[in-house]
Amino acid sequence: MSEITITIDGKEVKTQEGELILNAARANDIFIPAICYLTRCSPTLACRICLVEADGKQVYACNAKSKDGMEITTSTETIEAEKRAIMEVYDVNHPLQCGVCDQSGECELQNYTLEVGVDSQSYAIKDVDRSIQNWGLLNYDPSLCIMCERCTTVCKDMIGDGALSTRPRGSDAIDAEFKESMPKDAYSMWNKLNKSLIQPNNGETLDCTDCGECSAVCPVGAIVSADFQYTSNSWELTKVPATCSHCSAGCQIQYEVKHDSIDAPEPKIYRVQNEWNYVSLCGAGRYGYNFENKVEGKDEAAFAKAVEAFEKADTIAFDSQITNEEALILQKLKEARGYKLINEEARKFAAFMKAYASVSGNATFKTPLKAVNDANFVISVGSAVKTDNPNARFALNNSMIMNKGAAMYFHPVADPVVESMGKNIMAINHAPMQEEAVMYLILDLFAKKDVLPAEVAEYIASFHSMKTVTVTETVKEKVIEIVKEMKVNEETGEEEEIEVEKSKMVPKKVQKEVEVDDNRLLEIVGAPKKFDETMEKMLKKKDTFAMMVGPDFYSHPNAANLARLVALVEKYTAFSITMIPEKGNSLGVAMICELDESAGKYSVGYNVAADFVLSAAGKGDLDMPAMNQQEGTLTSIQLRVNPTNAALPYEGYELNDIANALGLDAKETIDYTEMLGAVAGFKAEKFDDLPNHYTNKGEEMRGYALEITEATTVDENVEKFDEDAAMKEALVYLANPTLQFNDFTNMSHQLNEEVGLYVSSDYAKANELAEGDKVAVETTKGSLELHVKIDSKIGGNIPFVPSFDSNLNSEALFNDYRFCSATIKKV
Amino acid sequence: METAYFIETIIKIVVILLVFSALAGFGTYFERKILAFMQRRLGPMNVGPFGVLQIAADGIKLFTKEDIVPTNAVGPIFKIAPVITAATAFMAAAAIPFMPQFTIFGYTVHPIVADVNIGILYILGVMAVGFYGPLLGSLASSNKFALLSAARAAAVFISYEVVTGLALLAPLMMVGSFSLIDFNNYQAGGVGDWIIWSQPVAFVLFWIAAFAETGRTPFHLVANDHEIIDGFGTEYSGMRWGLFFIGEYANMFFISFVIVLLFLGGFGDGSVFGALMFLLKMAFFFFFFLWTRAAWPDIRPDQLMWLCWKILMPLAVLNVVVTGFVMMF
Amino acid sequence: MMSLEQFENRNVSESGYYKVDIESYPETGWEKAKQVFSRAIRGELFVGLWVVMREMIKFDIHTVQYPKEKLPVGPRYRAVHEMQRLWESGTERCIGCGLCEKICISDCIRMDTKIDENNRKVVSEYTINLGRCIFCGYCAEVCPELAIVHGGRYENTSEQRAHYTEYDDMLTPFDMALKGEVPEYPGFGAVTPHEDERVKSTPLAY
Repeated sequence: MSEITITIDGKEVKTQEGELILNAARANDIFIPAICYLTRCSPTLACRICLVEADGKQVYACNAKSKDGMEITTSTETIEAEKRAIMEVYDVNHPLQCGVCDQSGECELQNYTLEVGVDSQSYAIKDVDRSIQNWGLLNYDPSLCIMCERCTTVCKDMIGDGALSTRPRGSDAIDAEFKESMPKDAYSMWNKLNKSLIQPNNGETLDCTDCGECSAVCPVGAIVSADFQYTSNSWELTKVPATCSHCSAGCQIQYEVKHDSIDAPEPKIYRVQNEWNYVSLCGAGRYGYNFENKVEGKDEAAFAKAVEAFEKADTIAFDSQITNEEALILQKLKEARGYKLINEEARKFAAFMKAYASVSGNATFKTPLKAVNDANFVISVGSAVKTDNPNARFALNNSMIMNKGAAMYFHPVADPVVESMGKNIMAINHAPMQEEAVMYLILDLFAKKDVLPAEVAEYIASFHSMKTVTVTETVKEKVIEIVKEMKVNEETGEEEEIEVEKSKMVPKKVQKEVEVDDNRLLEIVGAPKKFDETMEKMLKKKDTFAMMVGPDFYSHPNAANLARLVALVEKYTAFSITMIPEKGNSLGVAMICELDESAGKYSVGYNVAADFVLSAAGKGDLDMPAMNQQEGTLTSIQLRVNPTNAALPYEGYELNDIANALGLDAKETIDYTEMLGAVAGFKAEKFDDLPNHYTNKGEEMRGYALEITEATTVDENVEKFDEDAAMKEALVYLANPTLQFNDFTNMSHQLNEEVGLYVSSDYAKANELAEGDKVAVETTKGSLELHVKIDSKIGGNIPFVPSFDSNLNSEALFNDYRFCSATIKKV
Repeated sequence: METAYFIETIIKIVVILLVFSALAGFGTYFERKILAFMQRRLGPMNVGPFGVLQIAADGIKLFTKEDIVPTNAVGPIFKIAPVITAATAFMAAAAIPFMPQFTIFGYTVHPIVADVNIGILYILGVMAVGFYGPLLGSLASSNKFALLSAARAAAVFISYEVVTGLALLAPLMMVGSFSLIDFNNYQAGGVGDWIIWSQPVAFVLFWIAAFAETGRTPFHLVANDHEIIDGFGTEYSGMRWGLFFIGEYANMFFISFVIVLLFLGGFGDGSVFGALMFLLKMAFFFFFFLWTRAAWPDIRPDQLMWLCWKILMPLAVLNVVVTGFVMMF
Repeated sequence: MMSLEQFENRNVSESGYYKVDIESYPETGWEKAKQVFSRAIRGELFVGLWVVMREMIKFDIHTVQYPKEKLPVGPRYRAVHEMQRLWESGTERCIGCGLCEKICISDCIRMDTKIDENNRKVVSEYTINLGRCIFCGYCAEVCPELAIVHGGRYENTSEQRAHYTEYDDMLTPFDMALKGEVPEYPGFGAVTPHEDERVKSTPLAY
């Protein structure tokens, strides 16, 4: 890649060699219409409206790569004629009731029809029955669909569900005369459009992870949220830029707010939208928005009690669903009044990063998740990516498709979603407690042995042995046969039998004894057969490597050792390391708060159970604002501090009021944003100065990037692992189903579900369980009764015990580790 | 004094008071209706058949309305002013013979309260005193519009008294009596004897002056609504204002009687026909007051003065002189 | 293209206007006297008297006895809105597009919409705050469905503010619609008679 100069409409533009002309133009504010193209996905070439002339040749800007010195004209007579014809074709049989369409006002068909100036229609074809379909959370109206295939593209290239495909439309052929009279590209675009419609892969309903990204990218109103449909026009909604707080991805979202109804003038969030060219949302982010804490007013009695409780308490327990500012308030309270701060999950993450720092020299991981999008070989360890951080999963999928990449997915629980991402992903379901073996295997596979610390290299070598294996090889042998043939004797004219010699190649299986290198680590982690061959294929033409480390590691009994191994991988292989923080703001909390291990006698809990509870979910002794009702910043896996705004008003007390009552002094919570500068990695920026948008180039102008601070390295010693520690008995895994993260996602009306024990269909069959059966889950620490829920997005035989419902207190079943042996009995 | 004469007079006074008070009410009704018809409107329609009971409604309204005396008004004068207007109007009626004398139950009735030999002088005098009503009311109201009205009233009345007096001088010279009965008898010979034929100028001048005396359009400047609100009546409410109104309408009736008696033969020979004709002639002059109101514009005070002193008064003097010469030779 | 030609001719007399012939004011005493005589003697006063007398005799009364009699309002008059129903089926014409809500310059229209069981957009609630409405007619102009129009009900006094916002009061009564008694609406908001000429033709072969 090198910087080159191309000329678009006489304007000199600097861009990268091989950059798509469309993106080069967009980055320089030159308008080229494009309907089917999605920035981070592969070109679909459905709409053909991005026609430009490059060096005198007509090309599609979304497909053609720029070369140095290229002369590009975006508008010629033929191109304009094509555009006009294309837009006319899109308007053929498209209903004119824009008035009732949800997309009206932000519809690309409307925009381009006006842009091109379509004021009459030259084409016509008989319409076919295109009735509305309900796809669960979404409604599909095929009569509005213009077959740009953005939905199928994003689902395949970005999300990785591949849940949408095209189906035949069943319409008549286009009138032959049009072939002659129409511009060429418009005709072929129509020809394609006229043959297909969108359908879910399995026919009737969507079988996917319900991210709803297809509805976001739909340029028209064909795919829309069933819940939102027809409740508001787009122009009535006030767009509040914010940051999604459900997981650590920190996606940029827009809350769209309008008055509730004629009778209820208070504001309500109608939907969540995203900048789909640059960020993709999961279902929890898209549909989990109305978790606001409705409070009538300031409850002075409860506030007085809260202050009293804080004065009495010696401990503050909290979780990581809080803003950086709130974390700083808690830290300042600790400094002022000596509270113990209890947040086990963040403490473990901090400890993990500290152990990692002692080898790597970075206080935190230093590569944002974006590196995964850009890599072409990705390894994921210790994380059920799909539910821990959906964006990590999108990145994994995106890297494989857009960069023709490959990936390795190490996790004890089989994940059908990950496996379906393609043949270039190798999923290895190792036994729990064998994560260290995985790390040693990675070092073995990718590290240069000569630079590795000697003990590590030796330890790895100890798993290798030469062994003789019998290999069956296929050898082709030349065989000469004598075949009898009937032939007409030319002389006599009679038929007679003659013998002919014929040679042919015959495959023959040969047993052969071969000496091979036997890597016992492969056996320990449970690698598939032919691992070496597959790896060889997968590693072809790979040059950028990225690794994601997940929350399984942080709570691992040997977390410190794992952290050091992770640091070694970063140091001695080409892999960059990205750590997936377990909860929304775990990274921020881990960096800002000094967390304590053991609680005192009397504790105040913020969103967690304690003697006195502050709750944003409205379940405690004093109400707190929920994340969509407060301003603040959140620290994301992209190593950025992102601002979020209040979409809805909040009338009650917030943590800052309590802090002020206890002696701190800040008018607003966001006054602490600037004070964050005192924390290593953060900057002293005022909240109101933080931007929250993407540029045309796709640059993330959101808050600011964390500074990676250096840490002192100690040594590179790592411990050996215990092969026998592998957990082979019946297990449960502490993880959430897709679409659920916490109480807040479950409070949202579109996502609300009754908590259950999530099992794969195989597991249900093997244990004779049916949906809805009541089972008792018993571990050494306790037992729970749950209803069985069969989840098609889980594989293997480890059921999920969810943690999204705090009433359940499922964490109590587990030792620190996310896996736990358990007996499950039907009751 | 005979007791019978005394009783008769009391009865006549009461009858006149009642009849003309009522007529004043009907006068307003007729005025509204006639003005409306002339302007292609319907006038009062909603109270009673054809709006007849509008008079009753107005009466009730005026009687029941709050009687307001403004804080800065001169109370006693403010209160008595409307009474002056109404009282003088009715007092003037004492010398007007409303009908020829007739006999009822063998008793000869003279439908005149007091046939004094200076009847005309009396009427002119009392009517002139009526001008104190608006004048005092205005000055006592403590209202600038009322004050303007007072100034105008003083100017108009004083000026047109001159015209009235001079215009009447010539007929008086001819008849040689101040009694209206004598005037009537002077013209009793028939239409040809009517003074209007011998004194047309005096008739016209007197008629014009009558408009000024009664303050009717086109000489309505004493209370021009579009300039000075209701002039002297601005601060008045209820029945006090109603008395002004009754006075104005009673005056219109009386002056109509007077014009007919002076110039148009009165009730003539005293027959029933004559009596009917008398009422008809009177009705025409009353109607004419309304008619002009529908047709003519109001004129400005200065125009009014100009007309009085530069046109009417010289004409009247000339008329007297000419009459004198004619009588001399 | 609209042209301003028709406004460029400022000779008003052609379009039926004429100047009132005003005499110059008299200046000298003699002129004034002449004016007095011409007005008094020549009979201008009597002309006035004659005119009003004539009208009284003709008795051509123009009074409309308002609450009992009402004059028809012009079809383009913009009085209280009406929500129209379809002529034949009687279903509501309003599709809930919200354009009236958007265009309303006094911000007095609000609607709640939802999806119904037939996957169609329906208006679940609609209000016009007539206390705030300035009857500019933009809503009727913008309505793509001829659903909201200005009716002829110009009497809109009420002792209740709530009366100004009742959707049901505005809608054409349904029973009327079913009986086919709803007239085709000619008033403000309806298409003009020559609208057809202005619509571009497109091939509607199917």
